[in-house]
Amino acid sequence: MTVALQPEDAIREAPGDEAPRGASWPRYLLEKGSGALVSLLMVVVLGFFVFRILPGDPAISLTRGRRVSAEQVEQLREQYGLDLPLPVQFWNYLVGLFTGDLGTSYTYNQPVVDLIASRVGPTLLLTTTAAAISIVLGLWLGQRSAWRRGSAFDRAQTSLALTFWSVPTFWLGLLLLLVFGGLLQWFPTGGMVTPGSDATGLAWAWDVARHLVLPVTTMVAVVYAQYLLVMRASLLEEMSSDYLTTARAKGLKEDDVRRRHAVPNALLPTVTLIFLTVGGLIGGAVTVEAVYSWPGLGYLTYQALGTPDLPVLQGTFVVFSSIVVLTNFAADVLYRVIDPRLKES
Amino acid sequence: MPAVVAALAAPLAAAPAALADEGTDPYLRVATSNDIDSLNPFIASLASSTNLIGLTYERLVEWSAEDNSEVPGMASEWTTSADGLTWEFTIPEGREWSDGEPITAEDAAWTYTAILENEPLQMANGGLLTNIDSAVAVDDDTLEIRLKEPQAPNPGADLPIVPAHVWSELDAPEEHANDEDVVGSGPFLISSYDEGQSVELVANETFWRGAPKVPGIRYIYYKNGDAQVQALKAGEVDFVNGLTPAQFEALEGVENIELNAGDGRRYSALALNPGAKDATGAPLGDGNPVLQDVAVRRAIAMAIDKEAIVEKVKQGYAVVGETEIPPVYPAYFGIADSERMEFDPEAANALLDEAGYALGADGIRVDKQGQPIELRIMGRSSNPAHAQTAEYIQPWLADIGIATRVDMFSDNQVNDDSTLGRYDMYFTGWGQGPDPDFQLSINLCSSFPNADGSGALSESNWCDPEFDELFAAQHTELDPERRAELVKEAWAVKYADAVNVVLSYDQSLEAYRSDRFDGFALQPAEGGIIGNQNGYWGFYEATPVAEAENVAGAEGAPTWLVVAVIAGVVVAGGAILLIVRRRRAASADDRA
Repeated sequence: MTVALQPEDAIREAPGDEAPRGASWPRYLLEKGSGALVSLLMVVVLGFFVFRILPGDPAISLTRGRRVSAEQVEQLREQYGLDLPLPVQFWNYLVGLFTGDLGTSYTYNQPVVDLIASRVGPTLLLTTTAAAISIVLGLWLGQRSAWRRGSAFDRAQTSLALTFWSVPTFWLGLLLLLVFGGLLQWFPTGGMVTPGSDATGLAWAWDVARHLVLPVTTMVAVVYAQYLLVMRASLLEEMSSDYLTTARAKGLKEDDVRRRHAVPNALLPTVTLIFLTVGGLIGGAVTVEAVYSWPGLGYLTYQALGTPDLPVLQGTFVVFSSIVVLTNFAADVLYRVIDPRLKES
Repeated sequence: MPAVVAALAAPLAAAPAALADEGTDPYLRVATSNDIDSLNPFIASLASSTNLIGLTYERLVEWSAEDNSEVPGMASEWTTSADGLTWEFTIPEGREWSDGEPITAEDAAWTYTAILENEPLQMANGGLLTNIDSAVAVDDDTLEIRLKEPQAPNPGADLPIVPAHVWSELDAPEEHANDEDVVGSGPFLISSYDEGQSVELVANETFWRGAPKVPGIRYIYYKNGDAQVQALKAGEVDFVNGLTPAQFEALEGVENIELNAGDGRRYSALALNPGAKDATGAPLGDGNPVLQDVAVRRAIAMAIDKEAIVEKVKQGYAVVGETEIPPVYPAYFGIADSERMEFDPEAANALLDEAGYALGADGIRVDKQGQPIELRIMGRSSNPAHAQTAEYIQPWLADIGIATRVDMFSDNQVNDDSTLGRYDMYFTGWGQGPDPDFQLSINLCSSFPNADGSGALSESNWCDPEFDELFAAQHTELDPERRAELVKEAWAVKYADAVNVVLSYDQSLEAYRSDRFDGFALQPAEGGIIGNQNGYWGFYEATPVAEAENVAGAEGAPTWLVVAVIAGVVVAGGAILLIVRRRRAASADDRA
């Protein structure tokens, strides 16, 4: 909720006789863009150092329990570049990053770029589907709850949403898996496609859709509450406004008053929230991916922590963080576009 | 609105039988939770990968399903020269690779030589070849392996032999993915790999023991054990292993599911820090000095009730531990009755009294400096059995006047701390191969690591000159019975020093769909395992159950239930829609 307040502060500062903060588009973009850039730089630096605090020597943990000689372990360490001084490693990492080379995974012996590329699709499919459904569902229920504040509908929907919000994702996921996968056998218990089926086109899409149902339902159940609550809160703020009385006085139907006048105004803080949370959703996919064996990025990261597979961790960290920074930047820009008060006169 | 979601989802659920070929896939579907690091036999190191490679490529010598002893693989027989330096393997005529090319000694010679001469190819199996000087094909049927020094372990074991006519053509064999239409010699051939999702193997019709009875194997990723159990129940997979006792027991009595608790290759132990040293002999880590007294270590070993751990923590799915060799290797297993340390707290107390550790007023003994003895117990937070076992061990050690503190850490933390001697006691365990040589070798005095943890690997930060002598003797003893005696003697030396108190040998808990497959071979034949064998027997012997039996039933919930639930959802959804409509109409009327 606090994050949702930020834009409102901006509103308060925005009106005035003097040219307000970010009054001109180029200046606004420059300001927000440089902020994003600084964040990205921090991410790049953090991405390198934060994982080196982790205990564990990758060369030792990868050869654990195997018949290897000391020379082989040493050779492996050399191959990974772990024998170099830290500043040199950092420099190599930076150079690699700017040439689009995220290194080679210790575990999979594959370029990290390829690994991420092959897994980012499933993660995006899962998260965007879940985000779209939970946003629509949350906003729709939110405005209905606000409009009928205190009604049985409002109370039921709000408490239901909050219950799901408080449930641990892993637990809910396993429960759904148990009931709809193992017991009723309506939906597959894991993966993205039925292994061994050579379906293409529509049949393939159908297969993927069936595999999507349980993970998406789990994600939606856990996150839609935040959209519901923000929508409800911001609509409630609008409901006492004079312009609604005016609208009603004009003889508009109650539904129209809500849809055409109240909701557009209440949407402002909500849009910002949506962008702020979409980045987080991708990170939140880790648990869901682990429960439903979804072949995505989240699980890749989780696995890499064990080794620790430093190039994979750095790569996924940079990708995840960049998505968050960029969606935040997009939120700033979009906010200005949709709020007429921030437009140049 | 969950009802809406459910209503949307209902049609997706309605068609499982029609589209997903769960009931009709003729392949043996195996759930796997471990990652594939590579399918290239020169690179792949993780057990899940080497299992697949072991199905695709035979070794010169295999380990029998019967009792893990040496049996012919790609080589039909082998002899050793009098000086023990030359091993000659016979590759029988008439066997073929899966593409029809003949299998000859040249293939084996090429594989060995490629690893010896090409450093990048040593990644997976370089450690097997450190004592090999050369491998030469004398003729098509005869391979001659020359050793640097005599050794008892068979140099033909464990190394997968690849077809020279395929691999010698590659510019950089170490970069070959080897994940499509692989040419091999084993019972199943890797045919396709969908990264992070599944691996497919097809039956090799040219396999010299005869083509397998199942048309292929499909390994399917499941990232957690509970999902695997559900998949087995739902008939989406046919075989799962690595189950917890709780998961295993939940499957008991489920229709069409057969359970197998197989004796495993792994020991679990509590390691005691006997005073770790680095390669230069300087002390390493921060182990409590009181544990450098063998009397204290033996007293701790005698204070632990292993049977209670097997019953309470392992829920009966384990065997009480003795030396590091589990009973599945009968030749090397066991300890003489006279040397066994039985659970006996009284004797343990007497031993400590005698050694001069007096009891303090609070019931805690004091060490030679007058400090109360408090020891740390370290374990992995990833393994719930560690914390549970520690809970039992704490009061047992309190009974002999030793206070304890339990710390559970991440895997990497435990790996680091144990390597660097930063522990008093910690839970450990190793899976054992059929040949004991490697496991013994990491207990030699030459295996202490460098001060920073790099260099050699020491299993228990312990060594003993007597053990080193026995190791050297068994390492070159070519008579199997005499060698087995030496190996047992060596393990007895370590056992007597109580540095690695083996608590149990855990069973591997497996389950399969008996309505689809049967006839899996166990290793060892008596009470053994199906998956993770030393060899390809388990799945090779699998037999599909008659077609008629697996079509009917079992798959999916009863149709009436599915129909009823969908109908319920539709009705509920419709009702909600109606109510919403009405309310809308009503509010519109109000305004009119």
